[in-house]
Amino acid sequence: MKHDVDLSVNIAGINMKNPVMVASGTFGFGREYSDFYDINKLGALVTKGLTFMPKNGNPPPRVHETPAGMLNSVGLENPGVQGFIEEEWPHLSELAIPVIANIDGDTVEDYHKTAKKLSSLEGLAALEVNISCPNVEKGGLAFGQEPESAFEVIKAVREATRLPIIAKLSPNVTHIQKIAEAAVSAGADAISLINTLLGMAIDIDTQQPIFSRKFAGLSGPAVKPVALRMVWEVCEAVDVPVIGMGGITTWQDAVEFILAGASAVAIGTANFVNPTAPLEIIEGIKAYLDMKGRNLQDLIGAARG
Amino acid sequence: MNNTVAALADIVQNKEIAPNIYHMKIKALDIAKKAVPGQFLHIRCGKTLSPLLRRPISIADTDEKTGCVEIIYRVVGEGTRLLSQTLTGHKLDVIGPLGNGFPLPEKDAHCIIVAGGIGTAPIIYLAKKIASEPKNKNSVTTVLGFTTKSEVFGEGYLKFPGVETIIATDDGSYGYKGFPTDILERLLQEHMGKTDPIIYSCGPKPMLIKVKEIAASKNIRAYLSLEEHMACGVGACLGCSVKSSRKGYKKVCKDGPVFEAGEVELC
Repeated sequence: MKHDVDLSVNIAGINMKNPVMVASGTFGFGREYSDFYDINKLGALVTKGLTFMPKNGNPPPRVHETPAGMLNSVGLENPGVQGFIEEEWPHLSELAIPVIANIDGDTVEDYHKTAKKLSSLEGLAALEVNISCPNVEKGGLAFGQEPESAFEVIKAVREATRLPIIAKLSPNVTHIQKIAEAAVSAGADAISLINTLLGMAIDIDTQQPIFSRKFAGLSGPAVKPVALRMVWEVCEAVDVPVIGMGGITTWQDAVEFILAGASAVAIGTANFVNPTAPLEIIEGIKAYLDMKGRNLQDLIGAARG
Repeated sequence: MNNTVAALADIVQNKEIAPNIYHMKIKALDIAKKAVPGQFLHIRCGKTLSPLLRRPISIADTDEKTGCVEIIYRVVGEGTRLLSQTLTGHKLDVIGPLGNGFPLPEKDAHCIIVAGGIGTAPIIYLAKKIASEPKNKNSVTTVLGFTTKSEVFGEGYLKFPGVETIIATDDGSYGYKGFPTDILERLLQEHMGKTDPIIYSCGPKPMLIKVKEIAASKNIRAYLSLEEHMACGVGACLGCSVKSSRKGYKKVCKDGPVFEAGEVELC
């Protein structure tokens, strides 16, 4: 008899029919990929990062290809929280899957205000608090590099909302476990990681850095082993669910993250390469579990012994 | 929904037509039916994870009857090098048609189309499309610029009734000596006193800056097709930005690649 695979997972109250989400900043506000497939098939959708006021982003160039990866320096271009509510939320709220808003800020106060404003949206599933963006002057990554500042931001968001909070961590730190612990003690209900790795590229013709902000964020298959190691470390340190991401391109990659302890995964750069990658990954995980005669829950952290 | 298609298309031709310039034809009926001049395809050039990203390549022609979509591309890096080595009979992983194309003239318009180098590719499609509606009585002059004679291509693709083609080379080894924008200025001079022409252009940025400047000085409508490194190609990643003349940035892939000249800052 064919085994009926249960792919569902609940992360901090967010009910997902499968563990595959799309990562912030790689999926816009969900419109762009609906030409290719029914995005209601995803486990959840995470929006482009939102700030309280609209942001223009960084001057071009903003992307640069690297071996099995890419650097980006988009700089959180977004319509601001009010623009999001007016322009994007009406169509997002009609989706049948959980929609998670990713938020960022220059100051702790910004995060608090953005979280508060978004909390009024009926149907929003959770907030992913980005304390890890490497491409902005203030805020972002700076908050995610010290346990104290990570605590402060998450606490301010906690005070602003009753929505589940996912803290999105940066890999550009020495002790990822301390940051994760601080985020959880401040009230984070889940952890997601990794954001991009700080990198750079230099134009040998002009003999100048490619990007105006010099450093940029590395993503894609090249970062996967680093991401996997950090997910492993964080799963060891905290009891809340972990969402693993960083270079996941195939279902095999996704299974590795789940075996390391991630309850769900997010697909980022792979969307650019293969627009239907998330669907193929869902199908691949399902077929794998079917073959093993197991459910998703049995797989989470199974490599930890 | 489904304005854009993801397809594995059969490659029916991939041949070098000038040094490092290739003309590829693929079978992709859904794309051929939907495409308009100025739109592009986003192509996965290899099968491995490096080079990782797709390459945006302009559509050079389509045929709704045969389902053929044509591209003409220049080999500039690893992606296009792999593409040039792809054999006919194999499949091409392609997304398209993407972006906004050139707004077509209604009727009785004189169109001056200025292209530089590989920027000739979408111009072939545009000129052909305008000329394919003879009842609209539009006339087309295409001006193609290349560095030198050996680089010249496209002339043979533009032999339609109603289309006049002028070639310029930087060194004068073929056609007129000078830049295509020199010829644009001359044509506009000759055209003075008649109805304003419409300018279309695609090519290197310095050329587009000059076209924009000429069009602005004479207050003539101009449409420019821009090029930028892209990741997603569909408007999701915000990687291919160009400065808007008003506020913030526009996405070359989704808001463009064709812009009205006054909409964008090119420097």
